[in-house]
Amino acid sequence: MSKIWTALRERMEQRTLDNGLRVCYLPKEGFGKTFAILATDFGSVDASFTIDGQRHDTPAGVAHFLEHKMFEDEDGNALQKFARTGASPNAFTSHTMTAYHFSCTDRFEENLEILLKFVFTPYFTEENVQKERGIIAQEIGMMDDTPGWQAFCGLLGGMYRNHPVRVPIAGSVDSIARITPDVLYTCHRAFYSPRNMALVVCGTADFDEVCRMAAQYSPADAPAIGERHYGDRREAVNELTVERRMPVSRPQFLLGFKDVPCAPGESQLRRGLLGELSLRILCGDTSPLYAQLYEKRLISRDFDTDYMLFPEGAAAILGGESRDPEAARAAIEQEVARLAREGVGRALFSRMKKALYGLRLRVFDVPEAYARQQAAALFAGEDYADFAALCDTIGADDVQAVYARWAQRDRSCMSAILPQ
Amino acid sequence: MQQVTRKKLAEGVHLTCVTTPKFKRAVLRAALLLPLGGPDAALRACLPHVLRRGTRALPDLRAIGEALDGLYGARIEAVVRREGEHLAVGFLSDCIDEGCAPGADGLTAGVIRLLAELLCDPYTQDGAFCPDYTAGERENLIDRIAAQKNDPRVWAPLRLTQLMCADEAYGQPVHGTKAQAEKINEKKLYAAYQRALDEAQLELFYCGPLDAGTAEALFAQTPLAQPRPGALPLPPTAVLAQPAGEAREVVEEEPVTQGKLSLGFRTGGASLTGGDPAAYWVFQTLYGGSTSSKLFLNVREKQSLCYYASAQFVPAKGIMMVNSGIENDKFEVARDEILRQLDECRAGDITDAEIDGARRTLTTNWGAMLDDPLTLERYWLGQAAAGTMVSAEERIAQVQTVGRDRIVAAAQATALDTVYFMKGAGA
Repeated sequence: MSKIWTALRERMEQRTLDNGLRVCYLPKEGFGKTFAILATDFGSVDASFTIDGQRHDTPAGVAHFLEHKMFEDEDGNALQKFARTGASPNAFTSHTMTAYHFSCTDRFEENLEILLKFVFTPYFTEENVQKERGIIAQEIGMMDDTPGWQAFCGLLGGMYRNHPVRVPIAGSVDSIARITPDVLYTCHRAFYSPRNMALVVCGTADFDEVCRMAAQYSPADAPAIGERHYGDRREAVNELTVERRMPVSRPQFLLGFKDVPCAPGESQLRRGLLGELSLRILCGDTSPLYAQLYEKRLISRDFDTDYMLFPEGAAAILGGESRDPEAARAAIEQEVARLAREGVGRALFSRMKKALYGLRLRVFDVPEAYARQQAAALFAGEDYADFAALCDTIGADDVQAVYARWAQRDRSCMSAILPQ
Repeated sequence: MQQVTRKKLAEGVHLTCVTTPKFKRAVLRAALLLPLGGPDAALRACLPHVLRRGTRALPDLRAIGEALDGLYGARIEAVVRREGEHLAVGFLSDCIDEGCAPGADGLTAGVIRLLAELLCDPYTQDGAFCPDYTAGERENLIDRIAAQKNDPRVWAPLRLTQLMCADEAYGQPVHGTKAQAEKINEKKLYAAYQRALDEAQLELFYCGPLDAGTAEALFAQTPLAQPRPGALPLPPTAVLAQPAGEAREVVEEEPVTQGKLSLGFRTGGASLTGGDPAAYWVFQTLYGGSTSSKLFLNVREKQSLCYYASAQFVPAKGIMMVNSGIENDKFEVARDEILRQLDECRAGDITDAEIDGARRTLTTNWGAMLDDPLTLERYWLGQAAAGTMVSAEERIAQVQTVGRDRIVAAAQATALDTVYFMKGAGA
C-alpha cells in the first residue's frame, strides 16, 4: 500500500507480511543516512501475561533485560557485526515498546540482515545472563543518581496504585537477580512474534527488497501473542504528593494529571495531539501562564510538558526546577479549573494549534524520531503523517473537555525532588 | 556535497550558509563570539537570557510567545556555549520551511527580524536593562551555576576539565562564578552588553532551503548586518601538546550512589588547528568511541565494570577524556584497565578490523551529521571559532588514508594529565 501526503511532501509504502510483520518504508530524499527500527509492542508494563493457558508474573525489568541480551547470538555479539559495517546500532525499552535500530550511510542491506537475525534469534545462557546483571546493575545505579528520572518514577508511582507503569523500566537490583534464561525465552516467545512487531525504514532503500529480507529472516509462523494484564483501574491517583530528597541544588517537580485511557476505537494519534495541545495552552513555553510563572521564578527554562499514552492509561505531565513546587502546582491547577470552566479563547486556541502543527512537522526531519513515532502509530493501526488531518478535527470544546477531566478531584499528583 | 558558503557581510560579521532542499525546517543562529573567562564571564552568561525576556516592540514573554506561535511554533533559545577557548552568546532558532504550511510566506524573514530585535533592540528602562528581568535572570544564573552538580554524569567530566585546565582559559567556568553572578545589576549588565556588541565577532548561520544570496539579503535588511568596526580578532585556543607536569589524581566525595571516573589526556597537539586530527579521530574511535571499541569490549563487556566507558576527543582544545560510571570499590581496577587498553594501542596491538571499523564508524557519524541541521550549526560554529573551514565530507576523505602507523603515533603522543574520581559516599 502506498500513501501520499501532498501538502506535507511525504509518502510511505506499507505491507503486512504473511506472518503478520508490518513493514513500512518512509523515503527521505536527499538524506545520506538510512535508519531502520525493528520494534515489538512489548514494554515494561507487559510484565504479567498469559500464554498457552499459563499465567506469568515476571520480575520487574524483564523487557529491558531482554533488550540487553538480544544482541548476543551464538556466533557472537551483533554490536560487533555492526561495527564491521560502520553502522551505528542501539536499542531502547520504554513502558510500551522495545526497539532495536541502526543508522548507516552505506551497506544498508547487510545491516538489515544483522538486525533481523539477532532480534528473531534468542540466545540466552546462565553465564551470559549472569554477566548482564552486573552491567544493568550499574545502569540502575546511574539512574538512581539522576534526579529527573527519579522524579518521573516517583510520579508514576504516585499516580498509579496497581498499573505496572508504576514500576521502573529497568527494575531493581533485586528484581533482575530473579531473571533467568527461562524467563527471557518465555517473554521472547510471548511478544517477539512477527505479528506483534513492526519494521520501519526511513531514508533510502528498496522497499521490495526490505520486504523480501524481512520475510526471509523472520519466522514463517507467528505464535499467538500473550494476553496482558494491567491490574484494576482506578480513577483517582494513588497519592497526592510524593517527595524524595537528593543532592540537588534546588527543588525539581513533576505534576501529573491522570487522564482516562483511550476508548476502544478512539484514535491514539488524535488523543496524543489533543493532550499535547491542551498542555501547550495550559502551560507551554509560549502560554500566558508560563510567562506568569517564569516571571515569579516558579518555573525555569527547563520546564517541559509531555502527554503519555499506554495500555489502559493516559497522563499529562508538566514540570522542571522550581523554588517552590507547591506554589507552581497551585497555580497550574487553578488554571486547569479556570480553563475547564471558561474554555479557551479563539485567538489563543488558533495560534497554539498553528504552533503544534509546526512542532509536529519538524519530526519528519529527524529519521530516528519519525520512524519511532510511525512504529508506535502502526501498533495502534495508524500513520503518524495523518496528524495534520487529525489536527483539523480538534476544536476548542474538545480541549475544554480535557481540562474538565483533569480538574476533577484527586486526579493530580506531584512528585518533588527536594535538596537534602 | 552540501553547498556551504561563508561570507563576510560586514566588518566583524560573518554568515555561514548551508543550502539544502531536504529539510522541512530551517535552523538559524546569531551569536557573539568572545574570549572565554575574564571579569565579564557571568555578565555574558546572563546576557542572552535577559535579552530573551523582551524587545522594544515585544516587551515581555507573552508578546514574544505570541509572535513565535504566529510563526508556526518557531523556537528561539538563548545560547551560552563554549567553543574551544571562546564563548558564544546569542540565540539559536528553528522554524518550519514556509513551503510546508498554508499562509506561511515570509516566515523565515520574520524569524530573522525577531532574532535581530532580540540581539540588537532590547527592552530597556532608563537607559539600562529592565531591573526586574535582570534580577530574575541573575537568580536563574546563580541557580544554573549551582545546578551543574545535579547530574553526576555531566558534572564529572566538567570537573575534570576545570582541574586539568585550571591555568588555561578552557578551565574557566562558562557561566562565571557565583560571586561574579551575585554582583550583576541592570546597569552593569547593560554596559557589558554594549562592550560585547562592540568587541565581539558576530557569527550568523542559516541552514535550510534558501540559497546563500537570498538568506544573505534577509539578514542584510536587519541590524545584524551592520559593520562592527570595533570587533576584536579572536585569540586562538591554546593547545598544550603535553601535560604541564606529572599526571595527578584527584578524588572527591559526593553524596551519590555510583562513582564516576574521568580521565583527561593531552593529545600531543592533535586539534582542529594542528597535529594530525584525522589519525586522532581514528585512534579515539577504536579506543573508546563505539560499541566495538576496546573500552566498550573490555571494560564493559568482558569485565562488567560499568554501563558506559567511552573516550571523547575534544579537537577544539586538543584533549581527550574517558568517562565511566563504576562501583566505588572498582576505581583502581577500572582506571588500570582503561590505561592498559591505551597501552595496547601504543604498542600497536590493533587489528585491521578495528581500524576498518573505526573508519566506517566515523564515516557514518559525519555522513549522518549532514542530515541534522542542529548538529551542522554546532559544527560550523566550532569551525568558525577555530578559524578553519573543513567540511564533514573532507574529514571523511581524510580518515580513509589514515593507516596503522599514524594511529599508533596518535596513541603514543597521548599523555595522561589528570585522573578525577568522584566517589559516591551514598545517597
